[in-house]
Amino acid sequence: MVTPALRVASRRDRRRHLGQTLLSLLGIALGVAVLVAVDLANESARRAFDLSLTTLTGKATHRLSAGTHGLPEGLYTTLRVRDRLRPSTPVIEGLATYRGEPFRLLGIDPLSDGDFRPASARLPEGDLRALLTQPATVLMSARDLDRLGLQPGADIAVDIAGRTRTVRLVGRLQGDNPAALEGLMVADIATAQELLQRVGYLDRIDLILTPAQAAALPSRLPAGVQLAPVRADSSTQQRMTAAFQTNLTAMGLLALLVGALLVYNTMTFSVLRRRRLLGLLRVLGATRGDLFRLVLRESLLLGVVGSLLGVLLGMAIGQGLVKLVTRTINDLYFVLTVSSLLVSPGVLVKGFAVGLAATLGAALGPAWDAARTSPQDATRRSSVERRVHRAAPWLTLAGVLVAGSGLISLPFQGNGLTTAFVALFMVIIGFALTVPWMLLALTRLAQPLVGRVFGNAGRLAARNVAAGLSRSGVAVAALTVAVAATVGVGTMVESFRATVALWLEQTLASDIYISLPGSAAERRRNSLPPELLAALRELPGVASVSEGRPGEVDAQFGPLPMLALNDAPQVRRGFRFLATVDTDPWPALRRGAAVFVSEALAYRHDLRPGDTLTLTTPQGPRPFTVGGVFSDYSTDRGLVLLDRASYARLWHDPGVSSSGLVLTAGADPARVLAAVRRLVAASGLAVQVRPTAEIRAESLAVFDRTFAITGVLRLLAVGVAFIGVLSALLALQLDRAREHATLRALGLTPRQLGGLVSLECGLMGLAAGLLALPLGWLMAQLLIQVINRRSFGWTMQSLLPPGVLGEAVLLAVAAALLAGLYPAWRLARIAPAMALREE
Amino acid sequence: MHPRLILGIAMLLAACEAPPPATPDAPLSERLGATDTAGYARAVAPRRFAFPADHGPHPAYRNEWWYFTGNLATADGRRFGYQVTLFRIALRPQPPDRASAWGMRDLWMGHVALSDARAARHLAAERFARAAAGLAGSQTDPLRIWLEDWQIEHSAAGWRLDVDAGTFALKLDLRPQRPPVLQGEAGLSRKSAAPGNASYYYSVPRLATRGQLRLDGVEFALDGLSWLDREWSTSALAANQAGWDWFALQFADGRDLMYYRLRRTDGSTDPLSAGSLTWPDGHSEPLHARRLQLTPARWWQADDGTRYPVAWDLTLDGSERWHVSAVFDDQRMDVSVRYWEGMVTVEDASSGRELGRGYLELAGY
Repeated sequence: MVTPALRVASRRDRRRHLGQTLLSLLGIALGVAVLVAVDLANESARRAFDLSLTTLTGKATHRLSAGTHGLPEGLYTTLRVRDRLRPSTPVIEGLATYRGEPFRLLGIDPLSDGDFRPASARLPEGDLRALLTQPATVLMSARDLDRLGLQPGADIAVDIAGRTRTVRLVGRLQGDNPAALEGLMVADIATAQELLQRVGYLDRIDLILTPAQAAALPSRLPAGVQLAPVRADSSTQQRMTAAFQTNLTAMGLLALLVGALLVYNTMTFSVLRRRRLLGLLRVLGATRGDLFRLVLRESLLLGVVGSLLGVLLGMAIGQGLVKLVTRTINDLYFVLTVSSLLVSPGVLVKGFAVGLAATLGAALGPAWDAARTSPQDATRRSSVERRVHRAAPWLTLAGVLVAGSGLISLPFQGNGLTTAFVALFMVIIGFALTVPWMLLALTRLAQPLVGRVFGNAGRLAARNVAAGLSRSGVAVAALTVAVAATVGVGTMVESFRATVALWLEQTLASDIYISLPGSAAERRRNSLPPELLAALRELPGVASVSEGRPGEVDAQFGPLPMLALNDAPQVRRGFRFLATVDTDPWPALRRGAAVFVSEALAYRHDLRPGDTLTLTTPQGPRPFTVGGVFSDYSTDRGLVLLDRASYARLWHDPGVSSSGLVLTAGADPARVLAAVRRLVAASGLAVQVRPTAEIRAESLAVFDRTFAITGVLRLLAVGVAFIGVLSALLALQLDRAREHATLRALGLTPRQLGGLVSLECGLMGLAAGLLALPLGWLMAQLLIQVINRRSFGWTMQSLLPPGVLGEAVLLAVAAALLAGLYPAWRLARIAPAMALREE
Repeated sequence: MHPRLILGIAMLLAACEAPPPATPDAPLSERLGATDTAGYARAVAPRRFAFPADHGPHPAYRNEWWYFTGNLATADGRRFGYQVTLFRIALRPQPPDRASAWGMRDLWMGHVALSDARAARHLAAERFARAAAGLAGSQTDPLRIWLEDWQIEHSAAGWRLDVDAGTFALKLDLRPQRPPVLQGEAGLSRKSAAPGNASYYYSVPRLATRGQLRLDGVEFALDGLSWLDREWSTSALAANQAGWDWFALQFADGRDLMYYRLRRTDGSTDPLSAGSLTWPDGHSEPLHARRLQLTPARWWQADDGTRYPVAWDLTLDGSERWHVSAVFDDQRMDVSVRYWEGMVTVEDASSGRELGRGYLELAGY
C-alpha cells in the first residue's frame, strides 16, 4: 500500500518538476493523438464507404448486371411483370461534374425504389411530378445545396458523359442520415438514361431475394446476365483499401512508439532524480512493493491524463486527416461521396487504452528500478551510470537478437501485412535497444575530433553525454527512431515516385492522348466515333494511332480490370516486361492466344508466364496463356492486357475509349495538337485531348496527393520526437544543475556553460541523426521490398536520396539544439551559489 | 363511385383549392403534386356512353379508375370480401416527348385487399408503376389494363381479374347480370358547385363472380357477387368537402343500391350527395338526401385514434329501414391514402334478417 507520505512526496515532486511532467504529458498526448487521428480517419473512410454503398445499393441483397454494355431495359419489365420478381428496381449510375466537383448521378425509379433506398421513398420538398415527367431534372442533398448556395428551381450546368448539360434542381434529398446523401444527384431513370446516353439500357437491377429465389433465378436469366450478391461486391472494394489503411495505422503506431519511449524516458528520469528520496523512504520503512507501485501510480496518472488529451487532440487532427484519406481513396479507388469525420467511440476507447498501456509498459522498467533502490547506494548517481554502462552491451545484444529475428522471420511469413509490420517494429525496437551502446561508441570516437574543434569544452561535452548515458541514451534513441521514420518513409516515397515517373515515361509512349471523359464505367461503354479515329489517322504529322479499350473481364478468381490495345508501334514501346514466355511475347498476344498480366495481378494470384488464365467471354470461359508480366502502377487491383482485335471479336465490343498519337519526326507538336482539337471539336464530343507531358504531370500530382498524408504523419512523428528530446535534455540539464554550478564556481562564464550545454545537445542530435541513417535505410528497404509489395504487389527500385539523408541529420541536430536552448539559457542565468545550495 | 379517388388522389395529388400537406413523411402519392387542370378535358356536360369502348381508358381526363369490390364465399359458406382497383393518374396533359422509353405521362396506382371474415383479417397491398416501358397501361381489343402483373381483362363474356399481392392471390371471372347503370345526370356526376367539378360515372352493379383465391398457401374456390365502379374526371371536390361515405349494396331481392354522402368540413351533408337504386329489370332511379336518410350507428376506433362509422342505419323513403354493418371492424386500407373499405351485411332493421351484402367506403376521416 502506498502510504500518504509517499503520495505527498510524489505530488510535491510532480509540482516541482511541472515542466517535465507537462512535456511527458504532451508526448503521450501527441502519440495517442496521431494514432486516434489515423484510426478515426480510416474508420470514417470505411463508414463513409459503407454509407455510400448503403445509399447506392440500399437494402438490395443481390443485383443483376451484364458486362460492359449493361442490361437491356426490357429485362426489368420481364422480371417484374412476367416473373413477379420483387422487390426489384432498376438503376443507372454515372458521373456528373458540377464546378469541378464530382457527383454520382444515380438514376432510379422512384415508384419501385422505396423498398430499397428509404430516402427515395421520402423526397420531401421535391416536386416529384417534375422529376418524373420533365427531362433533365435532378435532386441534390440538402447539405450540398446549402454548401453550394443552390436552391431548388435553379438551373445548373453540369458535365455529364462528355457534354455540358443544363439540369434543373427540383428538390432536396433528405434522409435519416444526411451525410449519406452528400455527393449524390438523383434523377428519374428516364432522365438518367438520357443524360448518360444510356437509352435502352440499365446498369443494374437491384433485388431483395430470399436464398431460394437467388438459387432459382440464374436459370431464368438470359445469357450474359449475371446475378451477384451485393455484399461480395462491397468486400472486394473494401479489401482494396485495406492495405492502404493498414499502412496508415502502422504510421500511427510508430508515433505512439516514439511517445512510449518518451514516457519511458520521463519515468526513468523521475526515478533517477529521486533516488535519494526513494532511498530515504526505504530507510523510513517503505517496502520495495510500495516504491514499485508509487512509480506505476505516477505513470498511471500521466497515462490517463495524457491519453485523454491525446484522444481530444486526435479528434481535432482527424478532421484534417479524414479529408486527406478520402481524397487518396477517391484518387486511387472510387468516388467516396462522404467526407465528414465520424467519431466512433470504439476508436476513442481503443486509442485511450493503447496510450495507457504504452505508458504503463514504458514505466515498468523504471518502477522496477525504483523498487531495487537500496538505501545505501541511493544517493550515489555514479552507481546508476555504472550499471547502465554495464548493461549497454547486453541491451545491444538483445536488440540485435530482436531485430535479427524480425528480419529472419520475413521470408517465412507468406503475404501477411500485419506480420510484416510486426517485423518492422521488431527491427525498430531492436535498433533502439542498441542505441545507448552505439552512442557510447560514437562519443568515444568523436571525443578527439570535437576536442580538436571545440577544445576542452568539446571534450567535456562528449564525455558528459557518455557519462549521462542513463538519460542521454533514451533521448537519443527516441530521436533516432523518429528521424529514422522520416528517412525510411521519405526514402520509400522518393523511390516510389522515381519508379512511377520512370514508368510513366515509358508507358506514355505517344505524344498526344485522346480519351473519353466520365467515370470508368462510362468510358468502358461509350466509344470514340470511328470517323474521328479515321480522321486522326489521316492527319498530317501523325505517324501512328493507338487504340485502347479499358474494361472489366471475369477471370477464375473474379472480375479484373482489363485493357485492350491495338498493334501500334508505341504500344510495344510502352511495356516493360519483368518476365515473359517467349523472347518476343507480342505475336502470341496478337494471335489472341495469350494475355499479359500486370505485376500486381501476377503477385496477387501467383501467376507466372506460361500459366493459364481463364477469362469469361460471352461465349463462355476461354483459357489464355500468361504471355508475360509487365510493370504497371496504375492500379493495385492488377491489369490484364488483351489484344484489341481479339477482344473486339471475342467480347463483341468494337468500341475505342482512348487513343494515343505518335507524331512524325519533324512535325510541330503544337500545330498537330491544335489540329486534333479542331477535329474533336467538330465531332461535337467533349473528348479530352491532352499532350503527354500534361498527363504525366497530372499523374505525378495524384501520386503526390496520395502521399501527402504520409508527409503529415512523418511531421507528427518528428513532433513527438522533438518533444521527447526537449524533455530529456531539460531533465538532463536541470538534474546536473549542481555539477554545472560547480563548473561555474570553477570559473566557467555563463556563456561558456551555455555553449557547453548546446554542444552536448548538438552532439546528441548528431549521434541520433547518424544512427537514424542505417535504421532509416533498413526501414525503407522493409517498406519497399516487403510492405509495399505485400500491400500493392508492386516492385520498385530503391533509391538513396541524398536530400532525405541530409535532411535527417540536420533535423536531428536542429531538434536537439532547439531543445537545448531553454536549458542552456536557464543554466546560464542561474547563480552558482543558488544551484549549489539547492540540493 | 369513389370520390375517394377524387379526394384521395386528385386532391391530395393536387386539387386546386387546397395545397397538399407537404410533411416530410407524406406518402409518395401525395407528393406527386399535380396542381394543374389546364390541358385536360373536363366533365361539364352529359355525354353519350358506348360500350364496350367506354370500359377502356379516357386519357383526356386526368384521373380514372376501375374499381371492383365483391362479397364471395366458399361452397361451405366461408365469407371473403375483396377489392381490386387500378387508378390511372396523368401527371401531365401531353404524352411524353422523351428519348427514353421510361418517359411517362400516366402514373398507375393499384390497391388490392382481401377481407377474411372468419379470421377477421384484412390484407391490403398497394403498388405504383409508370405507364412506360411496358410496366403498366392499357390496351384495347380486347381490353386489358395492367399494373405490372396485376391485370384486368374484358371480353364479351365479362371481366377477368388476376392479382397476386404476395400474401394472397385472386383469379376471378365476373359476368355482368345487368347493363351498366349511368350515375348522376345520365352519367355526369356533379361533385361540387363549380362547373367541371364532376366526373363521368357508371357502375356495373351486379357481376356474378367465380374464381380462385390463394391464401396462406391454400386454394379456395369462391363465388358470389361483385360491383364495378368506373369513373373518370379531371377535378371534382371543392375545398369545403371533407370526405364521403359510399355504399354499394346488393339485395337478395335483386335490387342494387349505390349512394354516396359527401361530407362537408363543417360536418353537414352536401346537397350534391346522390345515388341510384337499380331494379332487377335493369331500370334505375336516382336517389338523393331527401329519399335516403343515413345515420351512423356504431363507431370503430383505429390504432391511430381515427374513428370510422362502421355501422349505419338507412331509411329509404321513410318506409324501408336497414341496418348496414361491417362484417368485421378493421378493414382499413393502410396504404399511402388511408381509408376504410370493407364488406358489409344489410339487415332488416326490425327483424335482423339478412337482406343483402355489399361494400362500404369511408374516406376523409
